[in-house]
Amino acid sequence: MTPGSRGRVSRITRDLTGRAERLAALGVTPGAPIRVLQTFPGIVFECDQTEVAVERTVARAILIERD
Amino acid sequence: MSSAVAAPSGRPAFLRLRSHPLKIALVGNPNVGKSVVFGRLTGRYATVSNYPGTTVTITTGRALIGAEVCDVIDTPGVNALEGVLSEDERITKRLLSTGGAELIVQVADARNLRRALMLTSQLADTGLPMILVLNMVDEANARGITIDAEGLSAHLGIPVVEAVAPEGRGVAELREALPAATPVAGARPAGVSHIDWASSMTAEFRRVNVVSAGRLRETINRAVREPLTGLPILALVLYATYLFVGVFGAQTLVGALENHVFNGLINPAATTAAGLIPLPLIRDFLVGNYGLITMGLTYAMAIVLPVVTTFFLMFGFLEDSGYIPRLAIFSDRLFRSMGLNGKAVLPMVLGLGCDTMATMTTRILGTPKERLIAITLLALGVPCSAQLATIMGILGGISVWALLLLFGVVLSQMILVGFLAARALPGDRSDFILELPPIRLPRMRNLVTKTALRVRWYLGEAVPLFLVGTALLFVLDRIGALDLLTGAARPVVTGALGLPSESAGVFVMGFLRRDYGAAGLFKMAHDGSLTAVQSVVALTVMTLFVPCVANLLMIVRERGARTGMAILAAVTVIAIGTGTILNFALTTLRITF
Repeated sequence: MTPGSRGRVSRITRDLTGRAERLAALGVTPGAPIRVLQTFPGIVFECDQTEVAVERTVARAILIERD
Repeated sequence: MSSAVAAPSGRPAFLRLRSHPLKIALVGNPNVGKSVVFGRLTGRYATVSNYPGTTVTITTGRALIGAEVCDVIDTPGVNALEGVLSEDERITKRLLSTGGAELIVQVADARNLRRALMLTSQLADTGLPMILVLNMVDEANARGITIDAEGLSAHLGIPVVEAVAPEGRGVAELREALPAATPVAGARPAGVSHIDWASSMTAEFRRVNVVSAGRLRETINRAVREPLTGLPILALVLYATYLFVGVFGAQTLVGALENHVFNGLINPAATTAAGLIPLPLIRDFLVGNYGLITMGLTYAMAIVLPVVTTFFLMFGFLEDSGYIPRLAIFSDRLFRSMGLNGKAVLPMVLGLGCDTMATMTTRILGTPKERLIAITLLALGVPCSAQLATIMGILGGISVWALLLLFGVVLSQMILVGFLAARALPGDRSDFILELPPIRLPRMRNLVTKTALRVRWYLGEAVPLFLVGTALLFVLDRIGALDLLTGAARPVVTGALGLPSESAGVFVMGFLRRDYGAAGLFKMAHDGSLTAVQSVVALTVMTLFVPCVANLLMIVRERGARTGMAILAAVTVIAIGTGTILNFALTTLRITF
């Protein structure tokens, strides 16, 4: 993932932490358009009108299909 | 008597004889403007803020809708009502499921329709009559988003109102629409998930003409976020805060109030008036050494109030502009070493204004373990406005290095304690996932109102405790206990900490009120009784020292008495220990400032 890349969320790995649900509640769900804004020091992306900051381990759970 | 007598069509019983006012709940995602709608309906303002968890308790107000008196309930922002829920979400869900509401007004951000509809779908499952308010349509339109509100309304079977709540637009329409609220008729079909339903509905009723969201805004957003520009900006923000709060607030305003108003007018007048009272005990109680007026009131109004007010103004500005959540991005790594995550920046920064308020705000953190660590660190190291005022007043006059050393020591202690606590305590920390609200120029009216509310809270909660603390000191002094405690503390104070023996009294005071202790040190420093090194040591210990009474009570309220006591004990030991080591290091290395 590099800053400026666009794509659609293809999948969110589910695990026991509940992060998939939290992401979904913010609108980060499969099919949503996503644009990566920044990767250092933290990961920031824009997903369907919502700007979100996450830590690396969470970002790894979001799989994107590039445009 | 049973709750709302619903008409056969499911409508709530407006204009019927009722046993109680109709309960209307405002529900919605965070940052959608629920509190503004609340304010417009009830005439009462519930604090508007840009990050989740600020409406920490459920606020209720009365509203007159037509001829009907209703109870309006403002709930904390929620993102979901099913699955893994935060504490705010649990509270809201419980309200809705236990009959706490008879009608739901969902306030939604028109720019985030899909997210709103996900919530709509879950709310529809409650079967309660609903209205959907699409707020911030102006900002949505600016982004090229248009929503077919009528079509959406027809499909859902509930009224859909477009609004720009901060300007009052749409509120009248909302009031008119309330009697027409009914349970959602066009909810998701069985077997379809909330997400899929929301997505398809959004696709059907929303049009987006892609428009770049304001070049200036984009640039500012990027500048704040990216480290190359972000860190200098942070330094600038800190400097501006120092100028506004530390110089204007702590020196100019405090100086004016303390010298001209209190020491110039009020205290002499009070002393003269008290001279009329025959009982010396009462006289001293009011205007003596630990006098209610000469010490308690003067301190609360002349010293603390100006600093707290300027701080809240500054903080409110940074909040409303959207800056504070972006700080979280930078501080995430640092906080993770303490067992927290970037979100903790919110209560921590707020703690610089008032630790008690910040302790309340730790609710926004994900897990109980994080909340406990945050509360401990707040009690340990974060100096509130009152302390900051005295710290900057004393050390600022010595040298910048003295100031930096104090903050360095305090910060390192916090990191150490956080790190150890994270290891020692059971449980996990939550993932750092934070929504960043858009960068916007704060509306002055909102800022002023919000600050006024916070100051009013402070006056109501903290000032009485200031006075109680003073009264307590008075009593202790009279019965000789203060001298006893001072005598007991003396060896530690002079021996381990290397401070003059008069300061023992100051520390005992500091035990009751950390900021009083700092004020006492301020006086000593001004009189020249403290060397530079002693000032640094004394202030460091005072900063790390026990939380003030108000904060302690809040800790007990949030985590229980046992935890409160444990934190108290740990903090005392750490404060004295650190002071001892610092004193030893500074004198051995012969460092002067």
